[in-house]
Amino acid sequence: MANFVQQVVSGLASGGIYGLLALAIVLINRSTGVINFAQGEMATLSAFLCWTLMDHGWAFWPAFAATLFLSFGGGLLLEAVVIRPIQNGPLVGIVILTIGLLIAINGLTTWIWGGAAKQFHGPFSTAPIRVGGVAFSKQDLGVIVVAFVAVGLVAALFARTRLGLALRAVAVNPLESRLVGIRASTMLAVGWGLAAALGAVAGVMAAPSLFLEPNMMQTVLLYAFAAAVLGGMESPLGAVVGGLLLGVVLNLAGTYVHWIGGELRLAVALALILGVLLVRPSGLFGRTALRRA
Amino acid sequence: MTRNLVALAAAALTLALAGIAAASPSATPGVSSSTITIGSSGPLTGEAAAAAGVLKGADGYFKYVNARGGVNGRKIDFKFLDDGYDPSRTVNNVRQLIQQDNVFALFGVVGTNGNLAIRDFANAVGVPTVFSASGATTFGREYKKYPWTIGYLPPYSVEGQLYAKHILATNGKKAKIAVLYQADDYGKDVLAGFRKGLGAKRSLIVQTVGYDPTASDVQSQVAQLKASGANTFAIFAFGKFAIQAFVYANKLGWKPQIYVNDVASASSIMQLDPQSTAEGTISILWGKDPATPKFKKDAGTALAATIVKKYIPGGNPSDGFLIAGMAEAFSMVDALKASGKNLTRKGLMNAVTHMNEANNPFLVPGVKVHTTPTFRFPIASVQLQRWHSRHWEPFGGVQSAKP
Amino acid sequence: MKAKPIAFGLGVAVLVVLPFVLNDFRTVQLATVGAYFIAILGLDILTGHSGQISLCHGAFMAVGGYTTAILMANHNVRDLWTIPIAAGVAGGIGLLAGVPALRLSGLYLALATFGIAVVLPTILKKFEHFTGGSTGITLFGKPTQTGHGVGVWRLTNNQWLYVLTWSIGVVLFLLAWWLLGARFGRSLRAVRDSELAAAASGVNRALYKVLAFGVSAAFAGVAGALFAINVAYVSPDTFPIQLSLYLLVGAVVGFFGSIWGAVFGALLIQFLPDIVGVFPHVDTKQAGPTTFFFGLVLVVLMLVLPLLLRLASRISNRGYLGAP
Repeated sequence: MANFVQQVVSGLASGGIYGLLALAIVLINRSTGVINFAQGEMATLSAFLCWTLMDHGWAFWPAFAATLFLSFGGGLLLEAVVIRPIQNGPLVGIVILTIGLLIAINGLTTWIWGGAAKQFHGPFSTAPIRVGGVAFSKQDLGVIVVAFVAVGLVAALFARTRLGLALRAVAVNPLESRLVGIRASTMLAVGWGLAAALGAVAGVMAAPSLFLEPNMMQTVLLYAFAAAVLGGMESPLGAVVGGLLLGVVLNLAGTYVHWIGGELRLAVALALILGVLLVRPSGLFGRTALRRA
Repeated sequence: MTRNLVALAAAALTLALAGIAAASPSATPGVSSSTITIGSSGPLTGEAAAAAGVLKGADGYFKYVNARGGVNGRKIDFKFLDDGYDPSRTVNNVRQLIQQDNVFALFGVVGTNGNLAIRDFANAVGVPTVFSASGATTFGREYKKYPWTIGYLPPYSVEGQLYAKHILATNGKKAKIAVLYQADDYGKDVLAGFRKGLGAKRSLIVQTVGYDPTASDVQSQVAQLKASGANTFAIFAFGKFAIQAFVYANKLGWKPQIYVNDVASASSIMQLDPQSTAEGTISILWGKDPATPKFKKDAGTALAATIVKKYIPGGNPSDGFLIAGMAEAFSMVDALKASGKNLTRKGLMNAVTHMNEANNPFLVPGVKVHTTPTFRFPIASVQLQRWHSRHWEPFGGVQSAKP
Repeated sequence: MKAKPIAFGLGVAVLVVLPFVLNDFRTVQLATVGAYFIAILGLDILTGHSGQISLCHGAFMAVGGYTTAILMANHNVRDLWTIPIAAGVAGGIGLLAGVPALRLSGLYLALATFGIAVVLPTILKKFEHFTGGSTGITLFGKPTQTGHGVGVWRLTNNQWLYVLTWSIGVVLFLLAWWLLGARFGRSLRAVRDSELAAAASGVNRALYKVLAFGVSAAFAGVAGALFAINVAYVSPDTFPIQLSLYLLVGAVVGFFGSIWGAVFGALLIQFLPDIVGVFPHVDTKQAGPTTFFFGLVLVVLMLVLPLLLRLASRISNRGYLGAP
């Protein structure tokens, strides 16, 4: 029984990381209609930036703030320079472009910082807290809290601010948005910038437990996609809840179904993606979109 | 018109002949009056990129030897290609090295699966594959079928056996063992040896859990192992997964006696682990780790540091993989020297199966490189070491690691 | 258009001459190019002409490759006969995959196929009793291998592989050319361009989309079989997600899904790592720079291609996703 609870708690901790990255993916999807395959690598790059600042003596919070700014700027720049020229072209071109970004950013990170795993000291203590035979750390709690805070901020942004309204408008109908005076291209860039900043949060939260190295987020990416799909690709809350749920399901499946064990967890994530997309594409929290042909 | 056609045909014919000529091998491929060309393949990119240190270390040592005149008047041209730990790329690389670069021999090919994939081909065309960076027992065993292949590292299965024997000797009655292993041939090889070493007491193992190298973390697996109630924890894992195993054991408040495999035992990795958990961990060693106090003032590690500084830009002198590569390269140079001025592939295999090297500066004193035509495990002795106060302390003397 | 038959004729002529002009190793590299070529043809049919993005063609190649390997190693089937079987198995799986794919559009299909390609190696490793696990299956020297890895008639082994791959490649190219020009192709493109209009014109959307998946996967299966025969070895890592990504890149680079560009895409996949080595700061022995420049080239290609194609289509006065 203790092991069951432990697996659930550990699952929530890993799931928080999946949820944060999923949040970034959902944000880009919701504001620009693109699925960004490079989201994980961008998050890793941000984490490395933060690490470098701390390595030069900065304390965590200033380094983190600077990283957020830099990541936001980086996302803006990427959208303006690389995505915008082909935004209206064939879908397959955009897919390949984000994949090219995935490869290039991974290479850049390896080139600058090398492949060896580095220790990352996050803001929360990793000292274990043990309650009734179950162990977790402030770091784990911190990840989950940060994830929900992020959801709250994103939801508030979309629902309560003019910026959020403009972002949503542009995503739904760029042409008509322009007619009411919204600068569509700026909004798209802002969407990418925000997502990049969210990705930075994901990377920085993940690094203390996953260990900072260029391939840190590669597997997390697929889990994040699964979480985003599970929660509904359009729902920020769904992304985080989906992530937490996924983390727990993976742990329980891996522990109690011997056949899955430690080797088939990715397959479970895939099964979830396929199952949700085919049976209930709007996920747990999304709204079913009607397509008028 | 006809003249043009004739000219065209002549040109095509010349090209064809040139093409054929370029492809046909000289008397002994890869050997000229001034150079010996040897080739290798390893994971320069990808998940296992740390292991490529072996190739870089060897390259550094060869450059050092070349700067001192080379071997019997010839310089060593070491060509190594990236295979990203994908054995089919290893096959392609080896094909290229043999058919396009005309290498004299293959040396230090990294990875068990890669070596297995190329074994049939290399033996069919008679190209030596010597001192492969793998400890898979089969490379020393199946020499009758594959006479051109020989490994180098101490056999993984024996490593597992030694840990098992140590457990039996120190805690034979009360040990309850949990094992985390990488679910591929490497991990299974070590685990199989471990089980064999326990013999009749195999039931001391209360739980084994594997993980796929594509996993993001092994927290769940470690939690499962702790829940089995074990007091001994064997970690047969690579790089970051080994680190995570220590971290999560610490987090869960689990304090077992830990055994960690050689490939994750470099001091640089061990120092990243929570020290309260890592204290007392046991592993094996055969190559000198420069961070180990015993070898701090050692001529071999000093030489390694010089080579890293001069020939391996960006290399970390404490990187155990670099030292392993230098050790292999030292043995290779020995074998090339012994093959004499008239270098042939057969001659190299002869030298490689009659090794008796006791002075390898990169190997732990007492560990010899010894082979005979019927005993093809170049390194078959190791020493146990214990992690104490942030560094390794070898103990117990050099023991046999013969399979 | 007369240009096409002439181009085809020239292409075949070049193919015939090449192995006598190039050295042995280049010949086998071109044989590998041939396998990629066939896979890209399949992808052209699916993504180029029926508009369904597949990021898992490497997985279909894996199906073909493993079919060949298992049949050759465990069931004593001669390598040549495994090729049509591999096509059948992969094609069958493609048809099966095509049915649920009907419910997924654009990006979601890309996502689902991405997931399949990522997960397939772990599944291949898990069912090791069947697939040989991470050790893989070696085919070299086996009696079922034509030429035993040494040579056939008076051809060297590499030349034999080249002849085998490209003769099948040319045949499949002709098949694709015919299919895409006939009703099959027209129906695919109708569905791709407007499902509503296609339905209104009596085209059975579901049937053609699923068929496209099946045919496309069968092509990839042949490619995988040839790949396995070429390298004489398969393992779960032989067909990673990168392969699926590069195949898609190859298809797009080849004039955005036209079969006439497939050969360029295939050449790119094979030789891009070498091209990357030409850049000044790239030491191909270092992981970082090589990967970075590879990704950079992809990004730049994707930015530049549409411009080039717009230019080209303006010159030739046709849209770039037109008939073959």
